This record gives sequence, structure tokens and C-alpha cells, in this order.
Amino acid sequence: MEKQEILNMEYAIETFSLTKVFADWWGRNRVCAVEDLSLKIRYNEIFGLLGPNGSGKTTTIKILLSLLHPTKGRSVVLGGNATDPKISARIGFLPEESYLYRYLSARETLEFYGRLFKLPSKVRKMRIESLLDMVGLKAVANRAVGTFSKGMARRIGLAQALINDPDLLILDEPTTGLDPIGTRQIKDLIIELAKRGKTILLCSHLLADVEDVCDRIAILYGGKIQSEGKVKELLQRSDKTQITTGHISDMAVERIKQIVSSEQADCVVTSPMDKLETFFIRIVAAAQQQSQPTSGAVSTTQIGNFLTAGESILDKLVSAGGEQSRTANPIEQKLSAQTDTQPAHKGPVAADKEYQTKPDEQLLSKLTEQPKPVATEPVVTDKNAKAQQLETETDEKEQTSKSILDGLTEDGM
Amino acid sequence: MHSIWAVALNTIRQALRMKIAAVFIVLLVVLLPVMGVSMTGDGTIKGRLQTFISYGFSLTSLLLCLLTIITSVYSVTNDIKQMQIYTVITKPIRRFQFLLGKLLGVLLLNVVLLAMFSAVIYTIVIFTPRYFKTDIAETTRLKNEFFTARATVIPAEEDVSKEVEKEYAKLKKDGQLPPDVLASKSANDKYMVWLTNQKKLEKRAAAVGHEIIWKFSDVRASEPNQSLFIRFKYDVSVNPPDSLVYGRWFAGDDRQLPYDIYAFDRKDTIRTFYEIEIPGDAVAKDGYLAVGFLNVPLNNTVVIFPPGDGLELLYKIGTFNGNFFRSVLLLLCRLIFLACLGILASTFLSFPVAILLCLVVFFIASISGFVAESFDFFGEGAGIIYNYTAVPVVMLLPQFDKLNPVDYLVPARILDWSLVAEVFGIMVCIKALLLLAIALLIFSRKEIAKITI
Ligand SMILES: Nc1ncnc2c1ncn2[C@@H]1O[C@H](COP(=O)(O)OP(=O)(O)OP(=O)(O)O)[C@@H](O)[C@H]1O
Ligand SMILES: [Mg+2]
Repeated sequence: MEKQEILNMEYAIETFSLTKVFADWWGRNRVCAVEDLSLKIRYNEIFGLLGPNGSGKTTTIKILLSLLHPTKGRSVVLGGNATDPKISARIGFLPEESYLYRYLSARETLEFYGRLFKLPSKVRKMRIESLLDMVGLKAVANRAVGTFSKGMARRIGLAQALINDPDLLILDEPTTGLDPIGTRQIKDLIIELAKRGKTILLCSHLLADVEDVCDRIAILYGGKIQSEGKVKELLQRSDKTQITTGHISDMAVERIKQIVSSEQADCVVTSPMDKLETFFIRIVAAAQQQSQPTSGAVSTTQIGNFLTAGESILDKLVSAGGEQSRTANPIEQKLSAQTDTQPAHKGPVAADKEYQTKPDEQLLSKLTEQPKPVATEPVVTDKNAKAQQLETETDEKEQTSKSILDGLTEDGM
Repeated sequence: MHSIWAVALNTIRQALRMKIAAVFIVLLVVLLPVMGVSMTGDGTIKGRLQTFISYGFSLTSLLLCLLTIITSVYSVTNDIKQMQIYTVITKPIRRFQFLLGKLLGVLLLNVVLLAMFSAVIYTIVIFTPRYFKTDIAETTRLKNEFFTARATVIPAEEDVSKEVEKEYAKLKKDGQLPPDVLASKSANDKYMVWLTNQKKLEKRAAAVGHEIIWKFSDVRASEPNQSLFIRFKYDVSVNPPDSLVYGRWFAGDDRQLPYDIYAFDRKDTIRTFYEIEIPGDAVAKDGYLAVGFLNVPLNNTVVIFPPGDGLELLYKIGTFNGNFFRSVLLLLCRLIFLACLGILASTFLSFPVAILLCLVVFFIASISGFVAESFDFFGEGAGIIYNYTAVPVVMLLPQFDKLNPVDYLVPARILDWSLVAEVFGIMVCIKALLLLAIALLIFSRKEIAKITI
């Protein structure tokens, strides 16, 4: 009992081998959405929950909020159960989609949620106005939210989650449908809230967002945690040393290379940090290669072939427009580039083919560079990285790259 | 309470803004006045008012019942289906508070509408006689027979068991009993029942030239010397050619000579209700009143007064306004029951199925007399399983038809508080609360986010 309390003091969210199995009415078609999940999220932490579609992120959140009953295991939120009004009063929740009462206006919506929190009317009015200001919907505050665009509805959803000034904020894909400014704003907001001592659980597919704000992340696949740890540590390639300098002359570079080679080491002048995107794909690909079960989508980088075969529909549409064909071409190139089993690239879309293949190669080589089989850092519980190292050691570089990408693309067929 | 109120308010907004209520409001607002003008009844003002109040009340009741079912089911199932409930139930509100909020919202809406439409009916009823400029005779008739609330006394059924026994003994002695009656016990029992019914019928039937006398005691009107009414309906053994029955009626104290008796000669159509007004002083000081009917030799048929409402004595003991108000309360009891039913159904069913269930219950409740009879019929041969499954379910069903306010308002019969209290106790305090308790129990354990297809 005493130990329990200490744990509760330490963690804002704690789950004990949480398992959720969905079955249909007859008990058939069993879907294991979450399996043996043990999460520990400290107070004042920004925790990112990642994973491909259908990996169980939303299900986890629903269990945390008692919208679903776990099949096994249990969860503790803010030291108790989320159904307890004392605890739910301290939680802000933004669901996957903004489920709003279509017939209420923006202001009435916030009014309604404010009442549920039993906020005194003065505080409620003040908060509603400042939230409407913050999400930029003051001008349309008296319109029914049913008429709102997706992003506008999202903003009301967010305002709704913040109306009680929550200690724990649970955001399920908060930035979907938001414009870049809104996205930026949310990121700033999250960081700001964390500075003020709040805890945030964030689900997102936008890895850049997660990378920017999260302290720790867990990657789910098939309802299981594949990898968990501090973002910095997960992304750090421990077998490399990065020297960041200002602009230096080629001479200086040569000198540095000499020094390095005297240490019997190779030297490449690029950024040694993995992008989170690469890391994410690697983890998912590894899971798929081991054909781990998932009840969600098995992602591929392929595009439906009706778009790529011969003259694409897009092409037809834009070729009629003459002038616009310039903007269309890169899209087609991008699509064809991807079907050549090349990895997703972050290169700018408006570029010619030559320019585009380069970063792809760069990315490829980055992907295929295998870390030497050294002991992984203890904080990084990257189970699959090890497996992959063993597997790929005997392979040629290029074959490896293929197998990863094949893993991504072929499994789904 | 705060959060219950927030949910209730939201429910009312939903019903109003999604235009669910609007359809019903428009229907009633249009139909009630139209009915007020177009319903003529038997041509008299009284008939007009009776028809209007009967149809007006039935229509209001039907539409508000439907509205209650639809709003209660819609507001809960829609929240679950469209998932708005995710953001509501994760706020500091208990699940039972959520359901109570929904219930409160639905009820408030319906109470307001009920009050509105009763007011419309009331206004139309009050203003119709003024509009038609009735003469004095008609006005008094309305005052005595419509705008009032009267006690109903049905003459006590006479004990015929002695006569049956005597008859039986006599038949036995004369050897006129059918042979199988003596042989088996069950045939004997059946024969006795038949004989009893026969004797009872005899008490309600008058052959040509014969007289029936009913004796009432403890007749106490609310005001001295106010009129009393005999309400009756003739049935006959042989249909007269013009469907008319001639009768001589008496009313007064017949216990000692000289009789102090009023007499009325009438001719009335068969199988139709009529009322005879009797002066208040026909009742003796101690509340005794005898009423007699003589089948005059102008007829050549036996005249029968059907059991139940064949003959009643009516006298004023309350007001129309009070009666009207209590009738509205009876309707309210129905609405409360249906709202709880709707909430219960939507805790575990999807919208169309829940609506269907509620409608089925509503219609069964509206013909509960028939249903109860058929269940009694089946129940005789059924075993324990039947008694412990179907019977409790039937017991839970309310009986809307038995307690129809129209049955009281049209004949201006008193609907007294004790009856309203009884209905409230059974339909609301027991049945509706039980449904609500089950609903709360189911809902508190429900996996809200579980999607069933
Ligand atoms: N009510 C349900 N009944 C049956 N299966 C369900 C139910 N809810 C979710 N699932 C299944 O559970 C798995 C996990 O779903 P979940 O919504 O948690 O995924 P997710 O990680 O949030 O995906 P996304 O990124 O698309 O939002 C999926 O395979 C889904 O089909
Ligand atoms: Mg999700």
C-alpha cells in the first residue's frame, strides 16, 4: 500500500500490463488492440505516444479515461480513477475528432463544458473569452459549430480541453486539420503548459511535432510498446561523434579528416542525428519484418497504381490546364520515385528529378548505415534495433536498404 | 446539481434546435384550433365540447407521448453514436448525473409543452359557449352536465346467491336439472355460474309492465338542493321498429307513505347515454334515494340496463377546473413513465431499436385491458416459467387506457385526488423509478466507447 502511494506521487499516469481485447457479440473476431501495456508518465512530462494507424493509441487513451474497460490490467490517472469527479476535474481531453454538439454556437459549447466543471460564472466567462481569443474564433463565436470547418472545430475542441486549466492534458492527434500556424501555436502552448508544471500525453502522427515538444516517447505497434525512452537518447547514435562547427575552410576539414583517420576512424561530414521520421520507420519496419501481429493498417509507401500507371488522373486533369503542368510534374515524379521502392523523402516537392533523387540517396544511405554491434544504451529500450543488427550484419548495404523498404511495401500486399 | 442542470439545458436546446419539438408544436398549434371549430359532435354545444375535449386531449396526449419517447431516446443515443458523450462523461460529472440531466431536460420540455397545450384546450373549451351565444337552458345544461365534476354512484349489485340456491333446489326437486350437471362436479360448477349470471341479469332487466328499483344511500352533494343526474343506457331483447323505448322514471324516498316522489315520462333511443335531471330535494335528509324505472306497456320488449355503466347516479362534488387540472396531471404521469422508458431503452439499444421498443410498450399500454385479458386467458394453462417471466413484465406495463382522463372529462365525472395519487404512486414512483434505476445501473457499467454494429 505504501509503495503504491509513492508510485502515485511520482507518476501522473501509470498503467499495469493493460490489455484490451475487442470481440464481436459472439466473442469472435478478436482484436487485440492493446497488449500488456505498462506506461509510466511522470508529472510535468510531455509524453508522446506514437504508432501507425490502428496500433492502439486511442484505445489506450480511452481506457485511461474509463471510456473503455480494460480486459486485463489497470490504470491509475493522477493517483486515482478518471471517473472520480475530483480527478476528472483536473484532466483536459481532446478526442481524436472534435465531437461537438452541432447545434451549439462556439461560445455556448464552451459555456456548456464550463458548467460541467462547475466553474463560477465569472471565471467561466473570463476563460471562455480568453480561449476564444487564443484559438482565434472570437469573430465567429456565435455561429453554430456544425457549420465550422474541420480545423475550426478542432480549435473549439482544444479550447474545450483547456477550459478547466487542467493539470493533465490528454491530446489525441491535436494538430490534425490545423493550419501551420495553429500547429505552431499548439506546440508553443504545450511547451508553455509544461513549463507551468502540467503533464501532457500526446498522440500524433506528425513526427516533427512530437520531436519538437516531447520529452519522452513510446512507439506502439500492434498494441505493444516497441520502443520507449527519452527522445534525445532514442535518436542519439551513440557510436558516432558529432562535431558541430561554424563555417570552416576546406583546408580545415582536411586537417580534421587527417586527425580522425589517425584515430582509425572514418569521417562523414553530415548531421549524425537520426531524424525521428527515420527512426519511426525503422521501428515499424522491424516490427513488420518479424511479422508481429497488428490489428491496424500495415503501412506502405505505395500509392494506388491507378494513380501511377501510365497517365495519371492527376496528370490528365492538370495537362488540360497547360500552365499548371509545371506544378503537376513534381507530384508525378514524387509518386514514381516512391514506387521505385525508395524511402519517403523530405525533399521539397517543387523540384526536378535530378535534384530529388539526391536527398533520397542520402536518406537511403543514412537508413542503411548499420550501427556497429555495440551495447545499446541502457535507457534506450530498443528491443528491435538489436534484432535488426544481427539480421543485417551479413547483408550488403544495398540489400539491407531494400529489405527494410520491402518490408514496408510488400507486407501490405 | 450544477452539471445535471447543464446537461438538461443542453438537451432542451437540442430538442428545440434540431426541430424535433417544432414538428409537434406546429402540429398541435394547427390541429387544436381547427378541431375546436370543426368538431360539432351531436350538434349541441355540450356535444361539441365533449367531442373537442375528447379528441383534443387524446391528440395532445398521443403527440406528447411520442415526443417524449423520441426526445429521450434521441438525446441519449445520439450523444453516444456521435461520440459527443466522450467529452462530456470525462468531465467531472457522474454517469447517473448525465442520465438524470437528460431526463430532466426531456421532462422540462414536455411539461412546458403540456402546460401550453392544456392551456390552449382549456381556453377553447371555455370560450366556445360564449362564441355560440347559448340560451339560458343550454347554459344551465352545460353548467350541470359539462362544466362540473360529479361523483358517480353505481348501484350495488344485489346478492343473488340465496335466490340461486333456491332456484337450484327447486329445479332439482322437479328433476329439471340437465343430467350431466348431477354427474360431474365441474359441470355443476359451470351450471351454477350460469344460473348466477342469469339471476343477475334478471335484476337488471324489466319485462313489459314491470319495474326495477335501485336504492342509493349516502348521497351527499357538495351544495344543498342542487340537481342530481341519472345517467343510463337502454339495451333491449327485441329491437323496437323505431329504436325507441318508452319509460316512466321515478325518484324519491319510497320508504314510508306518503311517497314523496318525482316522476318523468320519456322516450329515448336504445344504446345511447341519456341523463335525467332530478331536483336536489328528491334525496331524503339521511342521503337515501330510490330510483325506479317502469317498462310501460307501450313497449313490447324487455328493457335491460347493461352492467357497469348501464345506470349511474351523478351529482356535483367538484369543479371542472379541478378536474381538468387533475386530468393534465394524469397525462404528466404517462410522460414521466415514457421518459424513463426512453432513457432505459437508449442505454443499451441503438436509436431505431430503442424507438421501436418504446412504441411497442406505448401501444400495449394503450390497449392494456385487452392485453391483460389475453394474458389471463393464456395464463390459465401456463406453468411456473410463464408466471415468473411474462407476468412480471406485464405487471410493469402501465395502463394508459384504464386511466384515460377523457373518460372523466367527457361525462364530467370526478377524477379525485386519491386516484391521481394512486396513479402517480404506481406509474411514477414504482414503475418509472424502477425503469430509471435499471437504466442507471446499466449505464454506470456501460463501456461508453465500445462500438457495436
Ligand atoms: N470498439 C471497437 N471494437 C472493435 N475493435 C476496435 C474498437 N475500437 C478500436 N478497435 C480496434 O483496435 C485497434 C486499435 O485502434 P485505435 O483506435 O486504438 O488505433 P490508433 O492507434 O488510435 O489508430 P489511429 O492512428 O488511426 O488513430 C484497431 O485495430 C481497431 O480496429
Ligand atoms: Mg487514434
